[in-house]
Amino acid sequence: MFNDIVFRLRSLFRRSMVENDLNDELQFHIEQHVEKLVRAGLTREEAARQTRLQFGGLSQVKEDCRESRGMTLLETAAQDMRYALRQLGKAPGFTITAVLILALGIGANAAIFTLVNAMLLKNLPVADPKSLVRVGDAYQCCVNDVALDDGDYALFSTDTYEHFKKDVPEFEELAAMQAGFGFFNPLTTRRDGDGNLAHSSVSEFVSSNYFRTFGLRPHAGRLLSDADDVKGAPVVAIMSYEAWTNNYNRDSSVIGSTFWMNTKPVTIVGIAPPGFYGDRLATAPPDFYLPMKQIATIESADYVDDPGRMWLYVIGRVKPGVDRAALQAKLSGQLRQLLAPSKNFSTVHDKPLLEKAHVVLTDGGGGIQIMQLGYTSKLTLLMWISGLVLLIACANIANLLLVRGMGRKTEMSVRTALGAARMRIVRQLLTESIVLAVLGGTAALGVSYLGTRMLLALAFSGEPSVPIHASPSWEVLGFALGVSLVTGVLFGVAPAWIAAQAEPADALRTGARNVTGGASLLQRSLIVLQTALSLILLVGAGLFAASLNKLQSTDMKLDTKNRYILHIDPQAAGYLPSQVGALYQTMEERFHAIPGVMKVGISSVTPMEAHNSNDPIQIQGRSDLHKMAGWDRVNAEYFDAVGTRVVMGRGIGVRDTPSAPMIAVVNQAFVSTFFKPGENPIGAHFGSPGPSSGDAMIVGIVEDTVYTDVRMKNHPMTFVPILQRAASDKRPIDKVGALYAGTIVLETSRPMDDIQAVARKTLAGINPNLTMVKFQTFDEQIADRFTQERLISRLMTLFGGLALLLAAVGLYGVTSYNVARRSSEIGIRMALGAERSSVIAMVMRGAMLQTLLGLAIGLPVAMLCVRFVKAQLYEITNADASVLMVAILTLAVAACIAGLIPARRAASVEPQVALRNE
Amino acid sequence: MTAKHLDLPQGTLDLLILRTLALGPQHGWAISERVQQLSSDVLRIQQGSLYPALHRLERRGLIKARWGTSENNRRAKYYELSKNGRQQLEVETDAWGKLTAAVAQVLGTA
Repeated sequence: MFNDIVFRLRSLFRRSMVENDLNDELQFHIEQHVEKLVRAGLTREEAARQTRLQFGGLSQVKEDCRESRGMTLLETAAQDMRYALRQLGKAPGFTITAVLILALGIGANAAIFTLVNAMLLKNLPVADPKSLVRVGDAYQCCVNDVALDDGDYALFSTDTYEHFKKDVPEFEELAAMQAGFGFFNPLTTRRDGDGNLAHSSVSEFVSSNYFRTFGLRPHAGRLLSDADDVKGAPVVAIMSYEAWTNNYNRDSSVIGSTFWMNTKPVTIVGIAPPGFYGDRLATAPPDFYLPMKQIATIESADYVDDPGRMWLYVIGRVKPGVDRAALQAKLSGQLRQLLAPSKNFSTVHDKPLLEKAHVVLTDGGGGIQIMQLGYTSKLTLLMWISGLVLLIACANIANLLLVRGMGRKTEMSVRTALGAARMRIVRQLLTESIVLAVLGGTAALGVSYLGTRMLLALAFSGEPSVPIHASPSWEVLGFALGVSLVTGVLFGVAPAWIAAQAEPADALRTGARNVTGGASLLQRSLIVLQTALSLILLVGAGLFAASLNKLQSTDMKLDTKNRYILHIDPQAAGYLPSQVGALYQTMEERFHAIPGVMKVGISSVTPMEAHNSNDPIQIQGRSDLHKMAGWDRVNAEYFDAVGTRVVMGRGIGVRDTPSAPMIAVVNQAFVSTFFKPGENPIGAHFGSPGPSSGDAMIVGIVEDTVYTDVRMKNHPMTFVPILQRAASDKRPIDKVGALYAGTIVLETSRPMDDIQAVARKTLAGINPNLTMVKFQTFDEQIADRFTQERLISRLMTLFGGLALLLAAVGLYGVTSYNVARRSSEIGIRMALGAERSSVIAMVMRGAMLQTLLGLAIGLPVAMLCVRFVKAQLYEITNADASVLMVAILTLAVAACIAGLIPARRAASVEPQVALRNE
Repeated sequence: MTAKHLDLPQGTLDLLILRTLALGPQHGWAISERVQQLSSDVLRIQQGSLYPALHRLERRGLIKARWGTSENNRRAKYYELSKNGRQQLEVETDAWGKLTAAVAQVLGTA
């Protein structure tokens, strides 16, 4: 076999040498034979004559030899390829257009596919991801201590996890990991040593068998051991390879060194393997992994010991042959047993919920798919959109190839007439299509790489450490090439076949004159299809733009002018709840001392922030409505700082100190949720349902400033003075984590570019451990809340534009082809007195007819399609007239331009020239 | 020269070439001469089939080719048996023997 290939290749690449050898060999034979005959007594002429006769046709023998050497097939393929390249080179306009269309159409698809592949389909970089099983299918976060209505548990307490681990032998290993790590509870980290600055870092608390469950080995040092996960043991941590590389330049002395995390000493004992980004896709993967029990030491979190508080996700590796359904039933049964004594099921309302408690097992190889959850519907939409673009691109390519194939009918006829085999012609045209497809596919790879990078940049702007890479996978490469080949072959063969079927004589006879032979029905249909699809995409783009616009222009009842938001973490800096009162006072004083600062708000959360806490509420003396309200703890200047207006009663004042009776300000949505219309809520008391429902007295009502999300604009909110505690709260003050503020809001008298540096210095001046977790202008914080919507809107616009461009190119191609074919007809018309304007009108009529047909088909389809994306639009339920008008106008203008260029060319035909060509 | 020239049955040409080359390296013309000679002029190979056959055998790796100098000092292409060719010759000779014996037996008893 190998010999065969080498032999064939030799034939192919050393063609002239092989050919010379063959000549020499046969020549030698002839001469030898002549010599023999001469020796036998014949004259040299007679000998030569007889030899020739005997030998037969020399060319035939040579051809037979070539055939038996096996060079014909490969050789003709190479010949076809060279010829195809030459043909494509001769029509650079066609080639560039076709390659561009293929590159854009396929590239866009490959980019989306790469993203989908990386985000939705990829497994964690761990050993044997298939045998990993996640206990739970929901994404509850972050610490929960109420009975779930649907009973679908995915979050577990330390106690439940440990029972599962001990009592379920079906698991080879069962690991637990913190559900809510990340931005909301970063660690303030400082490497031991003079001159090292504290900074905020992401850490995840995990069970000691976490790395073992995933089958990972340390890159350096060691991973966690069971002895580390014991309260009172020296705290150790594993650093991620990325953090080690980016922050410490792979310095091996990091291993074994001490870091101060939230002011507690922690020893780094090892580096996680490269590429491991934790158990879930996140915009900020963990820098450190710590044993879960140590969360009590590092973050003073008491929930780690509370069997009623659930904070862990659980992933395990099942033993081979374990039946999942049986395991699920067993775990659900155990869960009910474990939860039964919990205080979460103590009330009459909650008791029946215990029966519903269960777990659902899901594949764990992809990890905790919380990020995927938010993106699945959007990526699916994008796949549809890019599929439409590909369809348009294919229609376009088909049209171009058809036009080209028909244009070469005469050429094909001549070649057939000269004796070329039909199969040979078809094969050659096929080669041309494939060469074109491969060129397009290759260019598409470039587009796909850049496209994916652009998508990632759009989707995760400002989040440089997302563990998704833009380089396309092998599947994507295959996909891109496959699509381009199919397109090329399909639409290359059809015209080739038609051309080869034609009777050469007929074709040659009519080849010179084309009066009626315009674009075929197929071509016109393709144009109509493209126009319709483009309209759908344009309408889609318009709808998403309108939706984004509506979202952003919502009256959020706040003021962003000259407002800056600093996120802080006093707990991480080592403050106890009993110490924060003095800290807040110092902060107010120091920040007010900065020239230009007018208001200093301090609060748990600010408007339009991802985070928000909700509690069940009961108005004292009324029945429990089982409704929740968000809460925020704020200082006296907070409402002014964020621009929330008090509409009734008073705001929070400086006299609302910890020793004063507890008061609260609520928003209008709270009033309409918990009170009847016309009731005066001022003076009413509310609190958690039950005996503490009289904790706080309402003293004022504020506007519905939007917290968390514009879609939650009528969400009930309560605001209490930042340091006040409910009378019913008998815990020691240092257990009250709610007293920790999360943000400082600054309102300045003018835009201050240097405010970030000044604020950082001010914080460090109060305490070097008081790091700035995040700094943004109020506007930036709000803009961040629209990232996904903006991404979708931009991509829709991009794809809509692409579709528009492709449709215009298609129309242009077909129209100009028609003009070229009809140039002699047009010449005759003009010679007979037709006006240039009427020629333009004639050409434009044809182009516009197809566009109008496309619009007529696309419009109802687009309006129908709205229902499929309605869920992703904000307050838009149908395609409104303005969006439709803009889309139609855009398409019409593009079509006009695409038609006008060839129409003007037609009108500039000189009658004499056109007729002379006859 | 009274014996009529016989056409070669399908597939025997390869066998004859291999057998001829078993005697030593030869160029194409010499092969055809040798076959004619050995068959007492009964078998005559058409050049039109000899050279394609040689090239086919070369491709299959049964014979090897190299350029050498002929008796009369001309550049000539010499063919020789490869190891595979030698095996192939044995196999085919054996098969041929069985085939002819069987055919003869059938003809003899008919």
